[in-house]
Amino acid sequence: MAPTDFFVLSAFLFGIGIFGLVVRRNVISIFFSLELLLNSANVLLVGFSKLHGNLYGEVFVFFVLAVAAAEAAVGLAIVVALYRLTGSVDTSEFRRLRW
Amino acid sequence: MSEVFFYFFSVLSIVFAAVAVTSQNIIRGGVALLGCFVSLGAVYFTVGAEFLGIVQVIVYGGAIIVLYLFALMTMDLASLKSEPFKAFLVAAGGLLSVVTAFLLLTGGMVLTKDFKPSISGAEDLALPMFFKFLLPFEVVSVLLLIATVGAVAIGRRES
Repeated sequence: MAPTDFFVLSAFLFGIGIFGLVVRRNVISIFFSLELLLNSANVLLVGFSKLHGNLYGEVFVFFVLAVAAAEAAVGLAIVVALYRLTGSVDTSEFRRLRW
Repeated sequence: MSEVFFYFFSVLSIVFAAVAVTSQNIIRGGVALLGCFVSLGAVYFTVGAEFLGIVQVIVYGGAIIVLYLFALMTMDLASLKSEPFKAFLVAAGGLLSVVTAFLLLTGGMVLTKDFKPSISGAEDLALPMFFKFLLPFEVVSVLLLIATVGAVAIGRRES
């Protein structure tokens, strides 16, 4: 198993995440793409951790996990509040960011 | 043998990720993302990061995806508009993703060192986690508390 395999997996996940981030208009799908970006970074952290025989990278994955959970909770709360306000989760409907 | 599983679950996670991003049915996309996360947990297992694989399945598969699907269930899914195909956006996203993936790959190709995966369980991770990174750990706990309070405050209905 070569370290380049991790790079290939991470690059594919990152590319798919960027693609979804640009193309999708649905906020929930954009959050899915964001999770993919975070996961591609996690794959690289684990790969480097294993390559160098150093566990700090794996500890960082824990912190990334915690930040991803916080992001998901707050982001979904905002999306649900906006859905109540506008009745839509399409980004083109979110022109009004005031109350 | 673990290499076979590594490649198998890598391909599986990439396929699931592609389905999650391109699916028009958003529930199907969420379940595909769940499959992607579980496959990535299996990838972590094959390289020896066993505790991380377990945490990946529990936190991403068990908590985050369930949170997304739970929020989706409070919405009227039939009213969600299907997205029109916009050639410009697809071209821009495709170009951007290919360029970023290419840059990542060219950065990774300089590494030629081969490595033998070593198993790292909960016990091995505890030492750096609770001694070297104790302060970040505590800060993250405060961050999670703030995020919980903020989510409740934002999501509450105005009376």
